[in-house]
Amino acid sequence: MSGRGLARLVPLVLVLAGSLSACGEDADPSTGSPAASESPSSSTSSSTSSSTPEDESGGDDTEGDTVTLEVTREGDTFTPNGERVELAVGQTLVLRLTADEAGGLHVHSTPEQDLVYEAGTSEHEITVDRPGVVEVESHDPDSIVLQLEVR
Amino acid sequence: MSPGAGGAISAHGLGGAKDLPIPSELAIAGAVAALVVSFTVLAVAWREPRYDAATSGRPAPAWLDRLVSSQASTVAARVLGMAFFLYVGAAAVFGKDSLINPFLGTFYVLLWVGLVPASLVFGEFFKAVSPARTIAMLFARISGVPGGQGLYAYPARLGYWPAAAGLFAFVWLELVYPGSTDLGPVRLWVAAYLGIMLIGSAVWGTTFLARADPFEVYSSLVAKLSVWGRRDGVLVIRSPLANLDTLVARPGLVAVVGILLGSTAFDSFRESTPWLQLVQSMSASRVLPDTLALVCFSAGVALVLTLATMATGVTSETPRRALPDLFAHSVVPIIVGYIVAHYLTYFFEYGQQTLIQLSDPFSRGDDYLGTADLQINYWLSMHPTFLAVTKVVAVALGHVVGVVAAHDRAIKLLPRRHQLTGQLPLLVAMVGFTVGGLYLLFAA
Repeated sequence: MSGRGLARLVPLVLVLAGSLSACGEDADPSTGSPAASESPSSSTSSSTSSSTPEDESGGDDTEGDTVTLEVTREGDTFTPNGERVELAVGQTLVLRLTADEAGGLHVHSTPEQDLVYEAGTSEHEITVDRPGVVEVESHDPDSIVLQLEVR
Repeated sequence: MSPGAGGAISAHGLGGAKDLPIPSELAIAGAVAALVVSFTVLAVAWREPRYDAATSGRPAPAWLDRLVSSQASTVAARVLGMAFFLYVGAAAVFGKDSLINPFLGTFYVLLWVGLVPASLVFGEFFKAVSPARTIAMLFARISGVPGGQGLYAYPARLGYWPAAAGLFAFVWLELVYPGSTDLGPVRLWVAAYLGIMLIGSAVWGTTFLARADPFEVYSSLVAKLSVWGRRDGVLVIRSPLANLDTLVARPGLVAVVGILLGSTAFDSFRESTPWLQLVQSMSASRVLPDTLALVCFSAGVALVLTLATMATGVTSETPRRALPDLFAHSVVPIIVGYIVAHYLTYFFEYGQQTLIQLSDPFSRGDDYLGTADLQINYWLSMHPTFLAVTKVVAVALGHVVGVVAAHDRAIKLLPRRHQLTGQLPLLVAMVGFTVGGLYLLFAA
């Protein structure tokens, strides 16, 4: 019923659809090979992790280098505070946690992962096997410590 | 079984991983598309209004009209809706306070998000199954009140304002309240909602539900983008644009669309690193700043829409202050496009999880529906490029439909010499909403 007027818009919509899908194809290679785009950010921190060989965990099939990150808890304050960390799918993130109290962290991947830490310094590994943004959150005090951008 | 499986995860809301930000090239392409489409519509689209509720739409096949209007199918829809409500209600009352209780997933995912696709496909979906409406109709029948009437006529000037309040109460519970995934508060919210709906419908009849029930108002708004409509009681098939034009403007409609669009934008914003770092560096809880931001986003959308629609010349028949509600329908497609972009993965993946949980309403390991052993399909998460393109196309498509709807309304309402210039402020506002939405999808 509104065919004639809409028909005038059809070429325009087609052009737009074409340009959008073209952009999508442009974006494909960059997301298709995430390891390549991730390597600069991970290589910088992997130098720190190379000093601590962590081989005791058996089922650890890391595809890329590991990323190591320092996290400190002083009282109710976490450092970093909600920072974004880029990670590749399957890459291992090593959290070196220094805390003045014992507590727990939740990794909101699917399925959830729980980390329990004691007072003092401890190391924890996180691996996410699906792309997405995954929050690493403390409960009591409630705060988001990290957001992992997994590609 | 263990409380740790669900009880401890409180401050996060439902669902695990969230979508990756969309790539910048896609966000820019979408924004450019929105801009180009807007001004092309202004330049080339028709100059005479073409949508008219009194004539638009062709009658649906007679058998279909008979089928959907029949007593049997209306009763069947009500019975199904009521049975599902009682089933999930049992989980809410007798189930465990845990994230695997299907009540939470049903409330936040199947109901709140699912009513959008259901209304797009079936029309006024929630109205047909609404347990509040069913109970109200049963009460009316028992007490011998003739169909749909209350003690008083619903005051016209209240319009959609009660629904706006209800929608705000919902989004605040979902996005701001720290206990949003604790069984107790959510159950209390639903009980209060049902109580208000029943009292309201006893006083003002079922008109109250059509104006004040947040879910029914939301569903019926989205249903205007389906192909199903009614003209003089006859089921008709219309183009979504012609159907959207039949939305009756009532007071409070601007507030409703402001809350729907603003709250979804806020949901992206609250996860963004700058806001997160700001609210977490404050000593107090984040409830107050989040509430303020939610109010600002919702009121901001409503205010921008109000100013942009009023900044035009008017005819003597349409007072300037009536314009915002008369143009508010054109934001509905933008809302739907943005909702698709925002909730697609969440609905697809957490919806599956909820279907699985529904088999075990009391968290005892039951398998009532035979869905307990299904595995969740994570295809969407595994294809982030497809997902990002789909999101941007949805936002751009919603924008196109919104701009065309606003254009038709402008040439119907505005005086001839203001028809093009009078649309400009609204056009700029809509481009602003769309570009802002894309920016949040890119940056948050």
